[in-house]
Amino acid sequence: MYLPDFEYYQPNSLAEACRLMAKFGPRARILAGGTDLLHKMKHGQLEPEVIVSLNGLERLREITYQKGVGVVIGARATHNDIAGSALLQEKYRSVCEAAHHMANNQIRNVGTLGGNIVNAVPSADLPPILIALGASVKLAGSQGRRVLPLEEFFTGVHSSVIEPDEILTEVIIPDQPSTGSTYIRFGLRRSGALAVVGAAVAVTMEGETCREARIALGAAAPVPMRARQAEAVLKNQVITPDLLEEAGVCAARECSPRSSIRGSEEYRRDLVRVLTRRALQKAIKEGHV
Amino acid sequence: MSQEYAVIGKSVPRKDGWDKVTGKAKYTGDLKFPNMLVGKILTSPHAHARILSIDTSEAEKLPGVKAVITHEDVPSLKYGISPARWDENIFCIDKVRFVGDKVAAVAALDEETVYKALKLIKVEYETLPAVFDPFEAMREDAPLVQEEYPRNINTEIHQNFGDVDKAMAEAYYVRTDRFKGQRTYQSPIEPHSAISIWDKDKLTIYSSTQSPHYFQYYIAREFGLPMGNVRVLKTHIGGGFGGKLEPTGLEFAGAVLSKLTGRPVRMFYDREDMFAHNRGRHAQFMELTTGVDKDGKILAVHANFVMDGGAYTSLGVASAYYAGALLTIPYEFDNYKFDMYRVNTNLPACGAQRGHGHPQPRFAFESHLDNIAKELGIDPVEIRLRNARKSNTTTPNEFKVETCALTEALEKARDLSGWREKKGKLPSGRGIGIGVGSFVSGAGYPIYRTDLPQASAVIKVNEDGSEATLYSGSVDIGQGSDTVLCQMAAEAMGYVYEKMRIVSADTELAPHDFGAYASRQTLMSGAAVKQAGEEIKTQLLAIAAPALGVRAEELDCREGIIFVKANPEINRTFGEAAREFFVKKGPLVGRGVYHVPKLGGKFKGAAVGTSPAYSFAAQVAEVEIDEETGEVKIAEVWDVHDCGKVINPALLHAQVHGAFYMGMGESVWEQVLFDAKGKIINANLAEYRLPTALDMPRLHSDLVDTVEPNGPWGVKEVGEGATTPVMGCISNAITDAIGVRIDSLPLSYEKVWRASKERKRNTSGE
Repeated sequence: MYLPDFEYYQPNSLAEACRLMAKFGPRARILAGGTDLLHKMKHGQLEPEVIVSLNGLERLREITYQKGVGVVIGARATHNDIAGSALLQEKYRSVCEAAHHMANNQIRNVGTLGGNIVNAVPSADLPPILIALGASVKLAGSQGRRVLPLEEFFTGVHSSVIEPDEILTEVIIPDQPSTGSTYIRFGLRRSGALAVVGAAVAVTMEGETCREARIALGAAAPVPMRARQAEAVLKNQVITPDLLEEAGVCAARECSPRSSIRGSEEYRRDLVRVLTRRALQKAIKEGHV
Repeated sequence: MSQEYAVIGKSVPRKDGWDKVTGKAKYTGDLKFPNMLVGKILTSPHAHARILSIDTSEAEKLPGVKAVITHEDVPSLKYGISPARWDENIFCIDKVRFVGDKVAAVAALDEETVYKALKLIKVEYETLPAVFDPFEAMREDAPLVQEEYPRNINTEIHQNFGDVDKAMAEAYYVRTDRFKGQRTYQSPIEPHSAISIWDKDKLTIYSSTQSPHYFQYYIAREFGLPMGNVRVLKTHIGGGFGGKLEPTGLEFAGAVLSKLTGRPVRMFYDREDMFAHNRGRHAQFMELTTGVDKDGKILAVHANFVMDGGAYTSLGVASAYYAGALLTIPYEFDNYKFDMYRVNTNLPACGAQRGHGHPQPRFAFESHLDNIAKELGIDPVEIRLRNARKSNTTTPNEFKVETCALTEALEKARDLSGWREKKGKLPSGRGIGIGVGSFVSGAGYPIYRTDLPQASAVIKVNEDGSEATLYSGSVDIGQGSDTVLCQMAAEAMGYVYEKMRIVSADTELAPHDFGAYASRQTLMSGAAVKQAGEEIKTQLLAIAAPALGVRAEELDCREGIIFVKANPEINRTFGEAAREFFVKKGPLVGRGVYHVPKLGGKFKGAAVGTSPAYSFAAQVAEVEIDEETGEVKIAEVWDVHDCGKVINPALLHAQVHGAFYMGMGESVWEQVLFDAKGKIINANLAEYRLPTALDMPRLHSDLVDTVEPNGPWGVKEVGEGATTPVMGCISNAITDAIGVRIDSLPLSYEKVWRASKERKRNTSGE
């Protein structure tokens, strides 16, 4: 329960941060909000020799709209920054709501979007809704920058495609035709509980017909996953309660949750069914993204 | 002056309120002394292992480390809080008995060094087979946790009152149900901490304790010191709930480290240590058999229980007795049999947690009674009214109950909650349930055998009469006893609450009191305080009388004014008379003492459950269940208490809210979980899910009036009794909502989901 010794750097530029990461490689860890990193260090799960803090990089905290690109959220934006962003409130309220309902207020004040993604835990709340909205992530490294779909970022529990010298700098939500989106999480108390299951959806409705649906599940597999079979059930179909239930059943079938102290595999699978159906209902009914 | 009382019965501000809300209040861990070291205990990573060797040399070499100690450096005398079973050592000598057992300790200049030094202590273990289940532990071939308890049976109880077999044979309906409780932990916000200062032959310990007296007694015994050479005191306490009643390694190891280094040593637990030290709620396995007549009148009860005690006794002997003893309190029946095995396992030791031993059996009994009511087609409130205890009755295990307004409480809870309009008429997924509870207002006997009085108090009025100080050994652990006792003192003296000061919970400055446990202080400490206050008043009226030209008997004093009863216009101030007293006679001091009258029967274990008075409660909860996910929302709760005269309504209702909160957590959310090797896997506040403020329902706390002749001004307890009805109440409400009974705690979302699903499957299969 005490932080091990480490060297600490707080670079003033992204280039310098990348250079430090390239220099120290796997011996270094990025510090943003620290809600995961410091916890792991205190419990002896991580003992990095070097900490590179992003807290000198103010621009990484910005949330902006860039024409032709979409909404760009800096990786250092805290959950409360996201929950309270007027831009996101207007364009993607579902993302604000997802940020607002996770963890507790103290953690939302310091925990960051980038950390929530890079930590790569199945129960993270922001990846499902961002994946449902087709978001991409930008990674900056000593060799240059790359942009890839968030959906392709994760490779397993606590693992992703990010290289030791790379820093996740921003998340981009592209302009889109979606008419409704939402994220529903199920936790074991009203605050301060990890999601047992989370279901995010983005739908494009044309009258009563669903032209397109993207469903992303949290804590339902080792990585945030698209429920593509469930999506296929809905595509170009007239929406009925039975069809939504069928999509839920489908999602429950295609996911692969594990048993943990927060819920058995069987329980999680059934929650996927219920939450997927409810999220679809909500996104279609409320009609805002 | 129309009201009967001037100071009690009012929600005066807490004595410690300002300091606490502004953050000014200092807790033990905040205190700093010159040259103070920090210390911590090294614990066992194994559930059961022989200690082959301990090498402290590397730790000792670390710069900043001032002392490293093991069993070789401390007394080997066994200690415990239950005198019948002293079975703990300061540090393990031959073997460790659970993950978290104490092995060594370090004192160093700062916390960081302490943590580093702990890692440098090399302990060689030979692991032994361990046992984690009490039923397995009772098998002949099970490993022994403690050599002196065959089949790991730490405590065995067989009590039999009346003629249970005959009554069961004659009953119209006999039912057996089995229930399981879970391990929970008190989780006080303030972690345990103790600062030991061993200076020549005097040992002073500041501790986060519920009872400086028991700490003083056991610490003095361990080190062979006269009690007077040990001073135990506290600052503010961030909650205890039963988990801070017995001294821990923090006091014992800290004392030795201080003696060795000649410096004050602050020892502390972090949150994980707290869970491992435990002394929380026992998991009980409860089989109840009850025989009733056609009308649901209880004729006989047989309680057949097993409890998982963990590795040591702690307060478990009392927990085991309480589990069965208090089942007889709320309902009247003549025939009762109680069998109990408390079994040692290689898990952290369990002890007393709010409601001590009783809440889980109460959950079982309230659930069981609802099952019986359902079978007989009787409304749950009605069956309770038919069995509710009355005033001036005696239980089959010989507890005298002088006041009991359970009937009135049940009727009031029924009416306030709209029970008649709701029961059986709520929409799908909603349910309403009732539970009752009761508790002792102080245990009739102290924890170890002694003829010391339960409580004593001294009040000293300032020389100029401008203020008065109450000296009391009572312990304010957050419940507000300093405030309540100052109100009582002011009332008895005829003085003003705002001018009262208090020095409490300090074995040197305050007179003896056993402390904050068994819900004893308002009644017991209060009785001593009242007597001390009255002694002040008597002396004051005598000195004031001549100047007013009357006899002392013609005077009274109230809110700082001494007046002629027949003509209140003739008066003088308390302060002026007090000054006159000091000038003429010296310090104006009042003394009070409280002994419990002899209580209880003569059978083995008759002492546990005796009390001068018993509180009663009826509680109704309405719940909303999401049957697809199992999510439980406790929507609204009505609690009606019979707790005698209320001294401070705000504090009383706060106790009900806090007790409900705690019971609610144990009902649905909380459980200490272990891996296959006996290590706790949720020893933190993220995965040991205490409910949050957002989970709290709207709670109506209401009262029925009684005046208990055995309590000062008629008081009884509230702090623990208010936890006892909760689990049964919520269990019954959930059962009403989903149509099926879950027989094990906690009634988690997943269990509710599973039960709802199985019921639907069964219903659709029919």
